[in-house]
Amino acid sequence: MTIVYSLKNVVKERLIDGVGFRLVVPEIQIRAQENIALVGHSGCGKSTLLDMLALIMRPDSCEEFSLHPVNGNSDDLGKLWERDKQSKLSQIRKQHIGYVMQSGGLLPYLTVRENIELPRRLLKLPDDDSIDSISRVLGIDRQLDKLPGLLSAGERQRAAFARALSHRPSILIADEPTSALDPITAQKIMAVVMEVIRGLKITLITASHDWAHVYKMELRTLKQEAEAIEGGKVYQSRFTD
Amino acid sequence: MAQITDILRLSFRDYSHEWRMSGCFILALSSVLAPMMILFGLKFGIVTTMVNELVENPANREIRPIGSGRYDDAWIDAYRNREEVEFIIPKTRALAATIQLKSDTSKRILSTELLATAPGDPLLSDISSVPQDYYQVILSQGAANKLNVKPGDQIDASLARQFDGKRERVHLFLTVMDIADATVTTRNVAFVNLDLLIATEQFKDGRQVPELGWAGNSDESARVYPSFRMYAKSIHDVQNLVAELEKTGARIKANVAEITTVKSIDQNLSVIYWIIACVGALGFSFSLGASLWANVDRKRKELSVLRLIGFKSGRIVLFPVLQSCYTALLGWLLAVLVYLAFEYLINFFLAPRLNLDQALCYLLTEHFLWALALTMVVAVSAAIMGGLRAAGIEPSDGLREI
Repeated sequence: MTIVYSLKNVVKERLIDGVGFRLVVPEIQIRAQENIALVGHSGCGKSTLLDMLALIMRPDSCEEFSLHPVNGNSDDLGKLWERDKQSKLSQIRKQHIGYVMQSGGLLPYLTVRENIELPRRLLKLPDDDSIDSISRVLGIDRQLDKLPGLLSAGERQRAAFARALSHRPSILIADEPTSALDPITAQKIMAVVMEVIRGLKITLITASHDWAHVYKMELRTLKQEAEAIEGGKVYQSRFTD
Repeated sequence: MAQITDILRLSFRDYSHEWRMSGCFILALSSVLAPMMILFGLKFGIVTTMVNELVENPANREIRPIGSGRYDDAWIDAYRNREEVEFIIPKTRALAATIQLKSDTSKRILSTELLATAPGDPLLSDISSVPQDYYQVILSQGAANKLNVKPGDQIDASLARQFDGKRERVHLFLTVMDIADATVTTRNVAFVNLDLLIATEQFKDGRQVPELGWAGNSDESARVYPSFRMYAKSIHDVQNLVAELEKTGARIKANVAEITTVKSIDQNLSVIYWIIACVGALGFSFSLGASLWANVDRKRKELSVLRLIGFKSGRIVLFPVLQSCYTALLGWLLAVLVYLAFEYLINFFLAPRLNLDQALCYLLTEHFLWALALTMVVAVSAAIMGGLRAAGIEPSDGLREI
């Protein structure tokens, strides 16, 4: 399978409540149509790595950080960040990546349908039945004309998945998308989502702190290990293949 | 272009979705702007009107010689053509410039002072036309009251002289064209054509006036006037004209001291007003800027979502800028409505109590437009700064807050 992401010695440092945090990715390769899970406890850097993969967070340094989307040109993301090519990064993001946040991140002033069609409008994709069909599959077809505030938490997450998938991206990134839901609803939603992404041949990268959940979905996990360094002043987390 | 249309749509949808918050911003803006407009309106209404009244009052611009001089027609014409002179007309000797008036509706014979007038006379600025021949007159309010006459009435004017050892009296019927406002003079004055004033003096001096059939000695000498009535174009021209006339040896009377006081009041009030206006505008700018900045900060999360979906940073800046424009426009509109309501109340209830002819509070259209421009500039500047800040931070920072 084609390699989609290739990362080598990617480092991101942050200061959280006076304690240094360093995320290190010595080497990771993610292939097309792979379903990857970043598993680890809260604060281990899962979201940080996902944000870098979603091109919404700049790495501090990297030897290699490249993206080779299916049906798209390869891009050296490290160089784009270095040259601060924000427009190019948003173009790549808009075209190839769908992103689901923990809390959905739907725009409260747009109806569910308008939220879902927003990525399609930006790409000037035709106004076909894509929105109706993805909404039907995700079970929110009767909620399309409502505002997100009127939906249940589960429905909001389904709508967030629908928005992330509406423009048929080749990569779906989901940051603990079901953490706020009860286990049964979470399982149901993820089952449907897995079916959709397998059908559409999408690469999934998700984060979770629930081992059992990941195990059931048969996702490949990246190893995570952490240690306190520099006399306990810096907490370092490493993700490896 | 498509992204701009989308941002326009999204910013408006968000603005109307959060109508309570938007309403608060509009109210906040108008509650700062409306008092400023009222203050401005009062400045124009009270200060400008009163100062203008002082500045433009003909009495403050009058220049008249003390005692007798010798001023011929050429001299008078030369000053009439001067840029800084609004009006000048000759006067004859005071003793020769009186006439006895008698009306059918009053038994009283009124000895009245004659003043020559002509088109453009500042004393008669409220009257559309002035006497054009020997037979027309405009009376002062006092004279009209004593004679019990109204415009259109005819009055008998008579003059007496001692000529060739005999006492003579001539009569002339004058039509009352108009009555001058009571503020023009408290004296008994008849404003007449210059020809009648000259004819009166000639008759009293024993000379003939063929145009009126009054006999007397012939007069071959060139006409020279002992005095004149002059008005400068503005109070700022008075001092120079007085100095110039005094250089010719004439003793001149003008309200120079009052003019200095009026100019000083005008300058001091302007300075005070501009201090208040500048402090107000500065406070308004900071208040509006701070509230709009805070609004952009509040919107940071949603702006990050838009960036995540793929909107470019430049387009993101447009989102708060457009919303600030909506707030500025609607806030200004509300402030104008509030101002107009106060303007009506002030002018309706207070102006009559203060006996002011003009409005106590008013603004010109250009003032409203200036207020809109200032509001827009402040609103857009604050939103651009806030928007640039929001677009400058990494989207991930904003997203974590959602």
